Order: sequence, then structure tokens, then C-alpha cells
Amino acid sequence: MPVERTTDRTGDPPDAELHRRLVYGDESALGEAYAAYGPLVRRVAVRVTQSPVAAEDVAQEVFAQMWSRPYAYDPGRGSLRTWLSLLAHRRAVDWVRSEARHRKAVPADDAVLYAVPDARPGPDQAVVDRERSLLLHTALAELPRSQREVVHLAYFAGRTYRQAAVELGIPEGTAKTRLRSALRKLAETLTDPPDPAYERGA
Amino acid sequence: MDTDHDGVRASLAAWAVGALEPGERRTVPRHLAGCDACAAEAERFTELVRLLDGPAVPPRRDGRGNPDDTAVDAADTAVADDTAAVADRAGDHADGVLAAALGLRPRTPPVAPHAAPYAAAVAGLRALLPELAGRWTVPVVHTWTAHATLAHLLAADEPLAAVLGIAPRVPAPHGNGRKGAGQGGGEGAGAAGWADAWNARTADVIAHELARTPEQTVAAWAAQADALLAAPEARDTGRAAAPATLMGMRLPVAEHYLVRAFEVWIHTDDLGRALGLAVPPPPEEHLWTLVRLAVRILGGALGPASPPVLFTVARSAGGEAGDQWVLGAEDKPVRAELVVDAVDFCLLVGGRYPPDAIPRTAVGDETAARHVLATAASLAWL
Repeated sequence: MPVERTTDRTGDPPDAELHRRLVYGDESALGEAYAAYGPLVRRVAVRVTQSPVAAEDVAQEVFAQMWSRPYAYDPGRGSLRTWLSLLAHRRAVDWVRSEARHRKAVPADDAVLYAVPDARPGPDQAVVDRERSLLLHTALAELPRSQREVVHLAYFAGRTYRQAAVELGIPEGTAKTRLRSALRKLAETLTDPPDPAYERGA
Repeated sequence: MDTDHDGVRASLAAWAVGALEPGERRTVPRHLAGCDACAAEAERFTELVRLLDGPAVPPRRDGRGNPDDTAVDAADTAVADDTAAVADRAGDHADGVLAAALGLRPRTPPVAPHAAPYAAAVAGLRALLPELAGRWTVPVVHTWTAHATLAHLLAADEPLAAVLGIAPRVPAPHGNGRKGAGQGGGEGAGAAGWADAWNARTADVIAHELARTPEQTVAAWAAQADALLAAPEARDTGRAAAPATLMGMRLPVAEHYLVRAFEVWIHTDDLGRALGLAVPPPPEEHLWTLVRLAVRILGGALGPASPPVLFTVARSAGGEAGDQWVLGAEDKPVRAELVVDAVDFCLLVGGRYPPDAIPRTAVGDETAARHVLATAASLAWL
């Protein structure tokens, strides 16, 4: 007997049925997915891009992708919430990167990025924080999918670790462990620059 | 006081992102006050979350990196912040986002209920087409590649198009313009004749299309499908009530639209399997319209003399009971009870299951039950 693994009690539409309607061109399914997950997609995009305008573009891209290529999402592999959140994050990181390529100047001193911040942020601190934030989001986008999924549910989607475990079909302890591994890995990116040549100023 | 060290240690990441259960949150600051190692990790994680959050709501963030402040409210405020503001904006911009997305797929045309399953099936195949990019030579069914399967659908929709006065997209061979399409399943064809003409036409169209690009074949198929959906018979229930004989079956045009929906779905499912993608069954309402049509045709094929079988088609999702029919002789006691799943039944009728391979529950006379399944499989139009 098939198991309705994606049904939850939050009132979100069951994913397999929503996907079925998206595939067959039911426009109301697009509206329902947008109502259920639009805020999450924007929240993810705003945190990465720190720009409401960019978040708007990201949201548009994400829902355009969901509607025009419904088979890019496979309800057998995970929840639509997680898929949309991961996609929004990836697109937002891409947006910032392409934005950075268009900028002429790179931030003044790379060493500052990896320094321990002052207790009291000054005006320059905001710029450094901005760069470090992007560094972290880029690193987050590179984490193994299993870790990213927990981070997205627990951090962006505001799920408790127990809810995340249920949604991912994993034990609670595993959800906690993955979350911890993910955060530790991210913390390392702040203390250890990814490329030693980068630090030498190459 | 530190008996909970391991528990808190394992929970610090969840705590830092605000993902602990409400009842568990209190233990963390109590432990941090007396454990330097945990306090240090908590500080790292809290700083990390502060940076991930970004500067959206600066006043609340001040002091996030300060050890004195990590204890109580960091976790509680980590998630809530800009959600409400962002959600409000989402409402304002919904129209823009949705309109931009909707423009990327052809809108499903407004049709009468009898043509809605075909319209949805066409939309469903269109949704799969992007996944076929670069994979048009993948083997699908019979000896067909994905490209040939699309060409077959172009041929298979042609007889209904001809009945509706829509010109064929592919010229008939030998300049014999009237014979190929119109008579492929037309009134004049005999019981065996339609199948031969049908197969010959499919072979011709496949040969013709394989000399072109997949994009050209898709365009021809889509244009013909759109023409079928734009025909008055797709919108006008009265006109669709007129009977026509196609594929050896005399049915109202409305039901020929259902047969088209059935075939497009089955071939889309074939294509999905070839690509390793699970094609969902048609929307529930359409699926059951197809099931009921197939049961009617099955009943006709079994005839009134066949041993009566209580036939149940079960709902695919969940354990709900489905619909029931008595197939075969009406004036004799039921010899067997047979239960099959709705999607499996459609795949059987579509020739995608050998009759002995379909999952089923049967009680009573096994021969009678098998006769029903074998007859259903023999309908295989596709």
C-alpha cells in the first residue's frame, strides 16, 4: 500500500497530489504552492541577497521553474518545502555571485574576513559581516544534501528538530547530529579560509 | 548541575537556530552558565546564525555576538525576525510572480468536461518534454525511441482529427491524400482492417518524422492536439454526442476524446519510465472517467454470456473502496470477485501489463477471474 509520506498536519497541501496537479497544468496548484511556500522562498532569498528586489527575482525564478519544469521536483525524494527552499537558496547564492562579478572592486583586505570580529560592530563591521554572511551561505550551498535539508527545515523554515526529523523520515537524534555537523562545518569556513593561496594574497 | 552536558552539547546547534522543542530550551542557558566548553560552542553557533540572518533587523541583532546575551533570547528570536515583513511583500507581488510563471506553459484551453482529460493529458506530456532534451533516441516501447513515440501520437490523434475536419499534419504516402488518415480508423475499415491501417499509418508517420528534428515532431503533435482542443466538438457537448467509428469502436466523439486522453497518458508514462521519472496518474476525476470508459468497453468485449464476475476497481491513494461492476451474465450468480487498482487496471487495458502480472485480489472461480483479465489485456489499443 502506498504511504502518504508527505502529508503533514500543518495544512500544507500533500506534495504528491500538488505535484500531480502541477504536472497536468492545474493553475490553482501553482497558486496553492505559492501561498504555502512563497514566504519561505522570499525569506531564504532575502537572507542571502539582503535585497528585497533580488528576493523578488529569486522568487519569480523559483516558481517559474516549479511550474515550467514540474519534473525537476520528485515527490519521492523529499518534500516540496525543502526542494523549494534549497532551490531558492541556490539561486540566491548565484545571484549574489553574479552581482559580485559585476562589481569592479573586491573588498579591501581579505584577512579581515577571517578575523575575530570586534565586540562592538563599527561601520566597517557591517561590510565585513556582509562578506562573511555570503561566505557562509556559499558554504551552506556546498554542504551535503542531507545536512542542507535539515538546516533548511530547522533554520529557514522554522521547524523544530523533531518536525524536521519527521518531514525527512529520519530519527530525531540524526536530525540533531546533522544540524550540528552542518553548523560546525560552517563555523570552520569562518576560521579556515577555503583556499590557502587566497590568504597569502595570491 | 552538569549531568546534562552531553544532551546540551548535542542540542546546541538546534538551540542556536531556534529549533529546540519549547520545553527543552530552558536547560541550555542553565548549563552554559557553568560549562565553558559548551558556552564557547554556543557562542560560535550564535555568531554564525547572526551572520546567516544578515542585517535585516539590526536593533535586535546588537549584542548577538556578546557572550552575555547568547543565553536567553538568541534562539527565540533567530527565526521569527523578518518573516512577517517578507510574507506581507509576498502577498503584494503574488500576481507578478504567478503571471510570470504562467506565461511559461501554454494555458489549458477552456473545454467541456468530456475533453478536459485530453487537455490535461496534453499538458502532462508537454510538462515532460523538457526532460527529453538530448534524450530523444532513448528506447521507449515496442521498437520506438522517444522521438518515434511522439510521432506515433501524432499518427494516433489523426483519425479523430480527420473526423473533426482537421487536415493531417503529415502527407499520406504516394500522394494518396484521403486514404491514410481518414480511413486509418474510419467508418469503412473492417474489424481487422482498422488495426492494419492504423499500424501502417503509424509506420509511415514515424518514418516521416524521424527524418525531421524532434522539435519539429513535437511542434506537429502539439499543433494537432491544440486543433483538437480548439474544435467545436471539444467545447460543445451536443456536437460531441455524435457517434463515430474509430479504432474499430463506435462511440460518441466525446468518448473518443477520452480514448485520446488515455493513450496520451499511457505513452507519457512510457516516456517517463524510459527516463526514470515517475509520471503521476491523471487527476483523480479524469482517472475515474477513463476507468469507467474502460470498464464499459471491457463489459462489451466480455459479452452477456461470460461467467459473471464482481469487478472492483480500487482507489489508488489510500484504502478507500472504489467502484464495483458485475461483468458478464446478469442472470446468474457471481462466480468470482476480482479487485484491481485503478492505475493498474488502466495499464492492463493499455497493454502495459501481461494479464497474469497485474497485482490483484481474487476469490472464487479463478478461471472466470482470469478470463476478465485476459479480455481486458486483449483490448490493448496502444
